[in-house]
Amino acid sequence: MDALSALKMVTTPPAGGLSANSMQDLAASATKSIPTAELQQLSSINSDSPLQTSGAVSAGSGASFENMLGGLVNDVAQKQASAGSAVTGLLSGQNVSLHQAMISMEEANVSFQMMVEVRNRLLDSYQELMRMQI
Amino acid sequence: MINLLTGIDSTSSALDAERIRMDVIAENIANANVTKDVDGKPYQRQEVVFESVLRAQQDADSPDAGSQTVQIARVQRDSRPPRMVYNPSHPDANKQGMVAMPNINIHEEMVDMIASSRSYEANLAVVKNARAMAMSALSIGRHS
Repeated sequence: MDALSALKMVTTPPAGGLSANSMQDLAASATKSIPTAELQQLSSINSDSPLQTSGAVSAGSGASFENMLGGLVNDVAQKQASAGSAVTGLLSGQNVSLHQAMISMEEANVSFQMMVEVRNRLLDSYQELMRMQI
Repeated sequence: MINLLTGIDSTSSALDAERIRMDVIAENIANANVTKDVDGKPYQRQEVVFESVLRAQQDADSPDAGSQTVQIARVQRDSRPPRMVYNPSHPDANKQGMVAMPNINIHEEMVDMIASSRSYEANLAVVKNARAMAMSALSIGRHS
């Protein structure tokens, strides 16, 4: 998968995911901007909840969800880069075997799909929150 | 580093090893009629010896740390005596008219080749399955 198609997959909404309506919602909420006090309240609730501390990402260790997400994206980018170099190595006659190139491409593909799924889940939960009646 | 296809390291190394085994078989078949090797004697059949290596545990948390991978320990020569063929007109024939041909049985090589390609296919099936498993796990949360 090349960088262009990767970009397309990220920027285009998944099938049946984002409707035009929800895109308008997103734009409207972005202009309104969420009050930071409420956000801080939310994050303090999160850090107190037992779910957070039992999970892999604990608030106490300083590894925030944001960091984890950034790490995931970096990992995926790294996998894509190594797949690219494997294919380049294969095509330029270096000591890279066909299956090595294919396996590293497959690894990059699967981890990219994983990233896309995480992004879909995040967007879904965000939209669910936005639709909530207050 | 995330690793969604665990166990793929062992499979990859096995594929590499099978590839080398196939190369050695190709060498044997190609040299089946060579009476003068680089050392002047008839070519001797070569065979690979596999060995397993413990994958370096750089990352004790990673799910496949400590998995065993395959590598070629050595390529050794078959010590069976050369095949003697009566052919007095051959330039390498001895006084009795016998020529020392390589100790290669082409049928044996073909059987080895089948074994090698089948085990390559088996490892490829592992790769495909690992991928299919990851993909179906990713589809858990998909609505459609």
